[in-house]
Amino acid sequence: MNRIAALVAVACVVLTGCTTAEQGKPVAAGTTTTKAPTKAPTSKKAVSREFVPTETTKDPTKKIDGVVAFDYKPGLHIDPTKRVAYDKAPPFGGAHDQAWAACMGVVYPKAVRTESIVHSLEHGAVWISYEPGLGEDEVKALAKRVDNKPYLLMSPYPGQDTPISLQSWGRQLKVDSADDERIDQFISATLRNKYLTPEPGASCDVLGPPHFDQDDPPPFDPTPPGADAVPVTGG
Amino acid sequence: MTEHNEGTPESTKRKIFVLSGAALAVLLVGAAVGMLITLSVVRQASTPTAESVDVGFAQDMQVHHLQAVTMANWARDHTTDLSVKSLAFDIEQTQLGQIGAMSGWLDIWGQPEQSPEPGYMAWMAAGSHGHTTEASGGVRAMPGMATSQEIAKLRTLTGRELDVYFLQLMLRHHAGGLDMARYASENAATSQVRNLSEKILKGQANEIKVLESMLAERGAKPL
Repeated sequence: MNRIAALVAVACVVLTGCTTAEQGKPVAAGTTTTKAPTKAPTSKKAVSREFVPTETTKDPTKKIDGVVAFDYKPGLHIDPTKRVAYDKAPPFGGAHDQAWAACMGVVYPKAVRTESIVHSLEHGAVWISYEPGLGEDEVKALAKRVDNKPYLLMSPYPGQDTPISLQSWGRQLKVDSADDERIDQFISATLRNKYLTPEPGASCDVLGPPHFDQDDPPPFDPTPPGADAVPVTGG
Repeated sequence: MTEHNEGTPESTKRKIFVLSGAALAVLLVGAAVGMLITLSVVRQASTPTAESVDVGFAQDMQVHHLQAVTMANWARDHTTDLSVKSLAFDIEQTQLGQIGAMSGWLDIWGQPEQSPEPGYMAWMAAGSHGHTTEASGGVRAMPGMATSQEIAKLRTLTGRELDVYFLQLMLRHHAGGLDMARYASENAATSQVRNLSEKILKGQANEIKVLESMLAERGAKPL
């Protein structure tokens, strides 16, 4: 009888122990700070969470008006002396320079070699491009979104047909104003999107000279790519 | 217990024993089933939500770590000082690994790598650390983060100047991340986040001492 009583006691202790451990409560023993709520105070959210990628909504850009999608083959590299005959302006996929453009929240004041930027898109970056004549206030508003934010970069792109355009690998959204609410939606839907990005986890860090110098980047080439250019589908 | 029932026949004793055993078996099976149900319910209910400490920490600490990796990468590639080189390599590899862990959790929890909100640290209780502002839903820059201009300056330096500035930026960066790590270690709901944040807290606190002594060896002070 005593043995049974002991067994029951042990069983109870074990069971209680298990249930307590599974409560998911903080275990910071000995801390004297008052327990803060696990949820942040609810505030007006700037961007709806509706546009973040999930297992069931791998491509939230489908919910954004005006997004163009194209399926590009990743991993096609060219060397720094070559050009790619891109099929879109600005391009958002296809063959690209082996060195990517630094994209850790970089605001490029001048237009940059397109073949380098396309490589950044393959790493999960979002590129905001704008017409060189865009107003200073609008450029500032865009720069504020980009500066020092990982996996974002921005630069002028001569000859694009809207004031502002956003590119991620295989997706593009052209807009007329920096106030357009779809800008944040597009960023939310595509930035480091593990389903759309061919190389999730790839770096946005600057390679540095001679490969890609963030402070003196290879410039945009306004001339036609020429007959010896590599096709967007690779050489 | 049986001492007062001297007249009880052996068969009755046995019956009591068997019945007690059966009752205990039923109790244990029932408790085990109950525990399994509880486990599955708790597991489901504990998938951290977008506003949780766990998700907020995994997103913001990733961004914080990414900058440390950027600085360490640059220093490792450009320093000529072997002890700075090995420290930079250590920081870069450690933080990249931790970024991978945080990224994996976010994937499983169905949350994006980086918060779609403009502010950082909204997941930390407003006001408790003096960093968050209630209405704005976070801060524009996390403590310890270098500005783009500071990172650009780092890229212009060479030799001892590069080493000193890297150590200074990294010291401030490490110190700046401690509040977030401490808060998560005390308030996160999942044991994995509590564990990693505690390891970051202790690891970076130790590395701060290394950074301080390396600065002193080079006759320099923190920023």
